[in-house]
Amino acid sequence: MSAPFLWIFLPFILAGILSLLRNQKVITLIACIFTLLLTLAAWLLPLDTVMTIGGWSFKLTSSLNILGRRLVLGPADLSLLALIYGSAVVWFVAASVTKSARRLNSLGLAIVALLVAALAVEPFLYAALLIEMAVLLSVPLLFTPGKYPGKGLIRFLIFQTLAMPFILFSGWLLAGIDANPGNLGLVQQAAILIALGFTFLLAIFPFHSWIPLLTEESSPITVGFILWMFPTVALFFGLGFLDHYSWLRDAPALNNILTTVGLLMVVSGGILAAFQKHLGRIMGYAVIMETGFSILTINLAKSVGLNLFLTLLIPRTLCLVVWALSLNIFKGHSPSLLLNDIKGLVRTFPFATSGLVLANLALAGMPLLAGFPSHQAIWGGLATSSYSIVIWALVGSLGLFFSAVRVMTAFSAAPEGAHWESHETVAQRVLLSIGFIALFLLGLFPQWVLPLWTKLPAIFSHLGQ
Amino acid sequence: MLYFTCNPGKEATFLIQYPRIMVILLPIIVMLLTAVTLFVMRFVRPNFKYPWMLAIGGATLALIAVFFWHLHMPQSISLAPWQPATLFSFSPTWLADGTSWPYALSLAALAAAVIWTSIVREENDPAAWAGVLLLTALGILAVAAENPLTLILAWSAIDLAELLAMLRSTEGEERSRGVVIAFAARVTGTLLVIWVNLISIGHGNPIDFTAIPASAGIYLLIAAGLRLGIFPLHLPYRKENVLRRGFGTSLRLISAAASLSLLARIPASALQSSLLPVLLILAALAALYAAWMWLRASDEIIGRPFWVLGMASLAVAASLHGNPTGSIGWGVMLVLGGGLLFLFSARQRNIIWLPLLSLWGLSALPFSATATAWEAGNHVSWLYIVPFLPAQALLMTGVIRHALHPGETSLESQERWTKFLYPNGLFLLAGIMLLLGIWGWNGAQRIGLVWAAIVADFLAAGFTALALTVMIRLAPLSTTSQWTRIFRLDWVYNTLAAVYEFFYRIAEIITSSLEGEGGLLWSLLLLALLLSIFSTQAH
Repeated sequence: MSAPFLWIFLPFILAGILSLLRNQKVITLIACIFTLLLTLAAWLLPLDTVMTIGGWSFKLTSSLNILGRRLVLGPADLSLLALIYGSAVVWFVAASVTKSARRLNSLGLAIVALLVAALAVEPFLYAALLIEMAVLLSVPLLFTPGKYPGKGLIRFLIFQTLAMPFILFSGWLLAGIDANPGNLGLVQQAAILIALGFTFLLAIFPFHSWIPLLTEESSPITVGFILWMFPTVALFFGLGFLDHYSWLRDAPALNNILTTVGLLMVVSGGILAAFQKHLGRIMGYAVIMETGFSILTINLAKSVGLNLFLTLLIPRTLCLVVWALSLNIFKGHSPSLLLNDIKGLVRTFPFATSGLVLANLALAGMPLLAGFPSHQAIWGGLATSSYSIVIWALVGSLGLFFSAVRVMTAFSAAPEGAHWESHETVAQRVLLSIGFIALFLLGLFPQWVLPLWTKLPAIFSHLGQ
Repeated sequence: MLYFTCNPGKEATFLIQYPRIMVILLPIIVMLLTAVTLFVMRFVRPNFKYPWMLAIGGATLALIAVFFWHLHMPQSISLAPWQPATLFSFSPTWLADGTSWPYALSLAALAAAVIWTSIVREENDPAAWAGVLLLTALGILAVAAENPLTLILAWSAIDLAELLAMLRSTEGEERSRGVVIAFAARVTGTLLVIWVNLISIGHGNPIDFTAIPASAGIYLLIAAGLRLGIFPLHLPYRKENVLRRGFGTSLRLISAAASLSLLARIPASALQSSLLPVLLILAALAALYAAWMWLRASDEIIGRPFWVLGMASLAVAASLHGNPTGSIGWGVMLVLGGGLLFLFSARQRNIIWLPLLSLWGLSALPFSATATAWEAGNHVSWLYIVPFLPAQALLMTGVIRHALHPGETSLESQERWTKFLYPNGLFLLAGIMLLLGIWGWNGAQRIGLVWAAIVADFLAAGFTALALTVMIRLAPLSTTSQWTRIFRLDWVYNTLAAVYEFFYRIAEIITSSLEGEGGLLWSLLLLALLLSIFSTQAH
């Protein structure tokens, strides 16, 4: 058996089977167990080594040829697979206490498989096609049955689709550069096309508008999953470019561009979050800000930057899951997610309000919470190069903190005499409580997740050095 | 994993991995275990008859454990460092020394006194006692923090605990908003410490309390002032009657002590700024206003925020005079003197001397806890002390005035064993206060600036005479008075709201342009604009 079959084709096939089932509990159980097994397999199984279990011997080969192309998942990729599938388990478990579980578990599994394929395919330009397939599969996930597709969904489709030709063209040009490295004109054209492709793919300002629109109109848990999955894979895809092409890595303008783009996303995301009146949109802008922080880390001293980039992933996943789950709970009980409609909810939904506020504060870099260690390290890294950059980064974080204060004010605005009670289900309470504990533990002991990503830098042969 | 060293501030000469007697963490562990046990018993055995015994046992043991710090002082203890070391040069570390010990002792004594004296109040909820112990443990973690990052972690825990407790007990939209704003103000102070740390990292070294750069001290002081409501002077809580004697007193005083402990770590050498006179004037204004309001408050609980503000202003003033030891004196008196008065709810003529004992601690006379209060460690003129003396006197007068009130209940109507235990609980605070004047830390057995103490005490005597004759006929100041409205900074919040509204409109224009029907075109236009800026810069 090959690794691509195990981590790409098998989940894709299972996703197809799950979409035929009706029982939400069964779907959730199968998806969660299967994804957990894939995570454990990625964590424990060696590649290209004969293993004997009982009387049965087998070997997981790292590549698979299909239609003349190769899907390669080497030993270095296993930790990335563990991270992706492990995070998917967390999302699927969180979704199990919402009404979106059935669609998210089946389509989500297929999307994960396609995006893993995008990271594994050689030549890499086919990744654009696989990402586009994942985008198309996301449409039924984000679409609300019985309603016209919203502006956010259409724009998501447009912007992500626009990324595809740019990346395909850049791949074509890069093949030419490999043959003729001295052609500066070609290099410049390829660089511009790559930049444009990632501008659309990562929802870089001003092409970010689909994110707040989508968070406003779709189920928070599914949007949260999409907003976690696509930017994460796109960032790894982008790092793969940087790692592979030395001319791109060493380009003199790269530092400035990454800093400017990263800061633009951090500042615009943070400041615009401070002015939002819709809880979902605040989460959307927080995601934009986080992508900006990831881009800023790439620019820091090479191996430190890469480590910082990886340190951000687990707290971000946790925060987004808690945030999206809390929003999903409100969506089912509140007329809308506008600040005016959620006044005083702390008295009736104490767990969900706490979850939302803590996740928001954590992503703003509040001490004691999961986001603080990594954000503190990023601010410190930026401070060594320029105070003005770190001030702007802090402005972004302050914006997000301010949005948390506004949300808290709205949540706590209960009329006098309102009673304290919890309208969340027991399962929701349990999951959110686990989320709170994890948020605090990661804020106090960031080293506890160290084993999860110590092997990750190995997937980048140059950046990881 | 825990690391233990007896040589803080220098290269560790020996680094012993745990196990060893963790005297620093001992009171914290005792308090946390007691709190957890109380919580568990509440759910597992609701009819458990001895929660008070359990709580008082834990609190008293913790207080004794703080005395054990003296066995090996100074000493520090660290949790495992954050990893990877390439990203984080930090491990949460706590230090038991002459600076943290008086604060830790005061907080542990307060917790014991709160639980001890709860027998005369209708506060029989074990969860409240568990909350007091939990908060005190966090407070000790804050005052014993060895570096700013450890401190801000402890601050954040206290802030979140206070937010939760206040929101649980606050009714009405406006008051709840005040709670959230108070939380935001304190976090802003925390952010300032983070900023100081970033400045230090920019200079090549993460900040450490043993070596604060000269440029950083003033920011740390402003951070503490911001958290305490001194810079700028503000009073986010309008009324103080929600959480009354027990838990409320702990919450207020522990939170203040946690912020004040930072002042004690700022040496005079780190306060080299031209801003010092300005900050001294602001602190003097805050002290005078708060002391006046404290004196005029209708009772000590209504006046509690003013007591905290006034005492904290005096501590800030000592720190601005380059006198961190003096700031500790005011800080511990804020806890002990305040605790003594706020817990003095059941009154009787023959124990009136107990709260009045705190006047000794506040007097700044030789061998009192505040003896070092008016010493100066830098070049700032002694004239800047003058405006603080009336503030000190007004605070002392306020203590006398509030101590002489009839109180909530009478001790005479209580049971016999209560009559025995309750004064002893109060005396615990008074005893610790007397002890700190003569033993255990840098500010003990000191003479201080005697003339300043005598002036303040004479002023206090004069004010007391006035208060007991003239002022008694004046109506108590309302917490919604014009001055309170001004100092609550409503005008600042209104201005900020107007600025916010302005920027909100700009954000709205940007958002609606990008998300509207022509959003795609606007995005492309902006992209072209950004690309042209980039290409111009590249050329």
